[in-house]
Amino acid sequence: MSSKKNQHREETQNFGLRLHAIQYLILAIFVALGIRFYFLQVSQHDTYVARAENNRIREIPILAARGLILDRSGQTVLVDNTPAFNIVIYPEDITDKAETIRMLVENLGVDRAELTARLNDPYRPKSQPILVKQNASDADRQYVSARELEHPEIKVETQPQRLYKYGKTAAHVLGYIGEISQKQLEMEKYQNAGYKSGDIIGQGGIEAVYDKILRGVDGMRRVIVDSKGRPIAELERIEPIRGQDIITTIDLDIQRVAEDQFEQKHATGAAIAMDPRNGEILAMVSVPSFDPNVFARNVISSDNRKELRAIINDPTHPLYNKALQGTYPTGSTWKIMMATAALEEGTITPTNSKIICGGGLSVGNRFLHDSGGNHGMPDIHAAIVHSCDGYFYRLGLRLGVDKIHEWVDRFGMGKKTGIDLPTETRGTIPSREWKRRVNPRDPVWKDFDTAICAIGQGSVAVPPMQLLHAEAGIVMGGEYHTPHIFKEAKATQAVEAKYYDDQPTELKLSKVTTDIVTAAMWGVVNEGGTAGRIPFPKELNVGGKTGTAQVIAKEKVRGKEHKDHSWFIGFAPMKGDKPEIGVVCITENGGWGASASAPTVNYIISAYYSKKLNRQLLPDLDMVAVHNRDANPALAAAMTPQVKDADRRRAPVRQ
Amino acid sequence: MVDFNRKVFRDIDWLLLLTPVALTLLGCVGIHSTAPGSEMKKQLIALGIGLVFAIVLMLNDYRKIIVNVAPFFYAAVMVMLILVLFFGKEINGNKAWLHIAGFSLQPSEFAKAATILMLARHMAQPRVGSLSLKDMIIMGAIAMPPVILIALEHDTGTMLTFGAILGSFYFLGGLRKILVAVALAGLVAGLFVVYPHLRGYQKERIDVIIHPEKADPKGYAYQTIQSVIAVGSGGVLGKGVGQSTQGKLGFLPFAWTDFIAAVIAEELGFAGILLMMVLYLIFIWRLVAIAEGARDRAGALMIMGFVALIGFHILCNLGMVVGVMPIMGIPLPLMSSGGTAVISMFIGVGLALSVRLRRFVN
Repeated sequence: MSSKKNQHREETQNFGLRLHAIQYLILAIFVALGIRFYFLQVSQHDTYVARAENNRIREIPILAARGLILDRSGQTVLVDNTPAFNIVIYPEDITDKAETIRMLVENLGVDRAELTARLNDPYRPKSQPILVKQNASDADRQYVSARELEHPEIKVETQPQRLYKYGKTAAHVLGYIGEISQKQLEMEKYQNAGYKSGDIIGQGGIEAVYDKILRGVDGMRRVIVDSKGRPIAELERIEPIRGQDIITTIDLDIQRVAEDQFEQKHATGAAIAMDPRNGEILAMVSVPSFDPNVFARNVISSDNRKELRAIINDPTHPLYNKALQGTYPTGSTWKIMMATAALEEGTITPTNSKIICGGGLSVGNRFLHDSGGNHGMPDIHAAIVHSCDGYFYRLGLRLGVDKIHEWVDRFGMGKKTGIDLPTETRGTIPSREWKRRVNPRDPVWKDFDTAICAIGQGSVAVPPMQLLHAEAGIVMGGEYHTPHIFKEAKATQAVEAKYYDDQPTELKLSKVTTDIVTAAMWGVVNEGGTAGRIPFPKELNVGGKTGTAQVIAKEKVRGKEHKDHSWFIGFAPMKGDKPEIGVVCITENGGWGASASAPTVNYIISAYYSKKLNRQLLPDLDMVAVHNRDANPALAAAMTPQVKDADRRRAPVRQ
Repeated sequence: MVDFNRKVFRDIDWLLLLTPVALTLLGCVGIHSTAPGSEMKKQLIALGIGLVFAIVLMLNDYRKIIVNVAPFFYAAVMVMLILVLFFGKEINGNKAWLHIAGFSLQPSEFAKAATILMLARHMAQPRVGSLSLKDMIIMGAIAMPPVILIALEHDTGTMLTFGAILGSFYFLGGLRKILVAVALAGLVAGLFVVYPHLRGYQKERIDVIIHPEKADPKGYAYQTIQSVIAVGSGGVLGKGVGQSTQGKLGFLPFAWTDFIAAVIAEELGFAGILLMMVLYLIFIWRLVAIAEGARDRAGALMIMGFVALIGFHILCNLGMVVGVMPIMGIPLPLMSSGGTAVISMFIGVGLALSVRLRRFVN
């Protein structure tokens, strides 16, 4: 059967054909794959070389040690760096995000919301480690090292931690550090400074103002890593440049005496001690205070979040620096400026300055009392010594609101002093224009307004720093120095030392005027004036002025929280030489000026001279004991428990 | 058994015997660079065992092997596949390894060879006309047990290999042209129908290929991306033996098994890849030539079954390495680290040599 034979042959030929079909199909596949290999290996070689390098070469930042902050002696370290075991995560090495988050939240107590926010932050470089826990316990470290293989992204590192050695002491001056916020990153000021997401920067006080000096320049290691992110070899190393240490004008001993005063009285308020000859701030207190270490930990653990929230939500606002941000009526301390203005304007003269007191003054349909009774017909000296309101009501009316405003403006009232701390406020100094603006229902300035303004009540509201600055200039004969905390930035290998550049300004005041005012202030303390019963050491020739800032409250409320604020501003010496220390103190709800604040000022000034003269001036003020008092021992112990000597040497602290 | 005399020695297809040895050694270069510990030693031992198998098989008549040995081999492999389900060791999500007396075997590799032999056995008789439906069903039935058992191991890639082997047998067995066309159309359509029903990870692996830019570089795309980087960064001449960064530093996971070609591409460059491809082509060309000259249908089909197996593996593996095929866990024949696969390949080589020696009708 030929057909069958044919079919057989056909099928046989067909087999050979199909065999070759498979052969050439494979060849075609090889050619296609070959083209693809050529495309990747030859045409796009450069791109993939770069990507392979990117894979294996990583830049690991070496954090620069932040400069220390010292007190004015240059010996006492106020803010230190201490090595701490920190747990960090490297986002680049995370393989299972959900699992990593779960581990950190459940076993290491990290705050889930904070961690997720950081991990998902699109602006944060992926190569930048995220600090999740500081001062990790032994258990935490063991937990992490036991999971090193499965979770190479979680590491324990020894990093410097900011340590505010004296806790709450001078917290408002020193400030604190923290991670730069998203809001800050969007601000031009921070962008220009070259900050990047995840940077730890100064967030308050001089930590913030002098961040650039303190932070130094981070170094970098270029290393080859394996796929688990473990460094295998180092290619390049750029050493960090450590930040400059800053010597402040703060005198820790005086600062502590001032803070002790508030503590002993269980009082709140503010006090500032300044050298009027150059504007150096010796002490600045704001009570209540806070512990900057809580911020420095900058940890996203749930516990730390709670601590932070507690400070931020505290109804007594511990973060608030009352010395710069708190605004209070100046009360009678204002009279120094009134007297100076009136003498300069010729409203009164050195020989003819007597004005009737009358126990007060009728203005319109109201009678303004003199809180000290009837002083007869005092001259300017007696009016200041006894703080005669009746005298100053009348003097104010003679000067007129426009002249008052013009003069206090010259003294710097209602303006920032320019101190090198953030968050200084201007306060309020009333004027015709001001009343028009804020009080549209009663826009016209009246004599009544002038009279209460003349004794520093009513709408006058200024921060204590402003008052001290203004009156320090007067007792210095018109020589004004900008108050400041920065004294010197110490030189490092890389950077030269920087010093504060004092640029005084001069307000023309006649010597006769300032002599009269100074003598009157001396009289307040030394001639049985309003502060006559306060035991200021006679030899110091302290002069000053009391003040009572009225707290406006509904009638018949007599609680402590509605007592008036007590002011005292004092300088020494006020006889002979120019004053070398000026102190202002406001004790909130402290009552009458001399009762709460004058003793505090006495202790601060005495502390200054005790140190200077090297002997005890007040029976219960032992400066040697104050000086030798330890840094917060509980704090220091809590910070460095597990760090062994070897680790301490490794950490970039105090190079 | 023929005597191993000088005539036989001269008649051995040396090219067919030596190209797979060269490919295995080339693979060892990459294994040495990337694999931990004793992987290369194991591979060399497997090469030795494979050569012994090849020579023993060469000296035996393949027809006897197909008729008498294949069913036992097939049955033994099926038992191993069942055992692996219960006692198997899980490596990288696939429960495919069986530990026997210190050796770890991958029965699914043997299953491929066993299935090829059984299919060739069934097709031994020359037939007239197109492949009958009955034959197709019987052949399907031969391939089905290993496919089901391997499906239970979740080894998708190996399952597909059986499809390729069976398909090549159908095609060479004389499947009608119209059915070939229908099958190809059906294959394409099938991909679209099956795709939505795939498991999550399977789907993601395919998505990586279709939309590489959308894939999560830390997820399923990771291996593909790292592999492509390894290949691309190799350039024309490569970074040098032992100098790979992607492979050696571990960016490419399991570089010594499924991604061995990426290591070769990175260390030896495009030149190394061309060398590899030429070796494979010589290997395949020799196999096809022997199949063509075989004295009977069974021998030819048996060899072509191995050709289909090798071709399919190369397509899937290299396709995966250059990022145009999804990751399926299909090793590169002879080169990927894996003793069972190497031995299995040399079984095929031995059988082909046996066919060659007996190509003349006596």
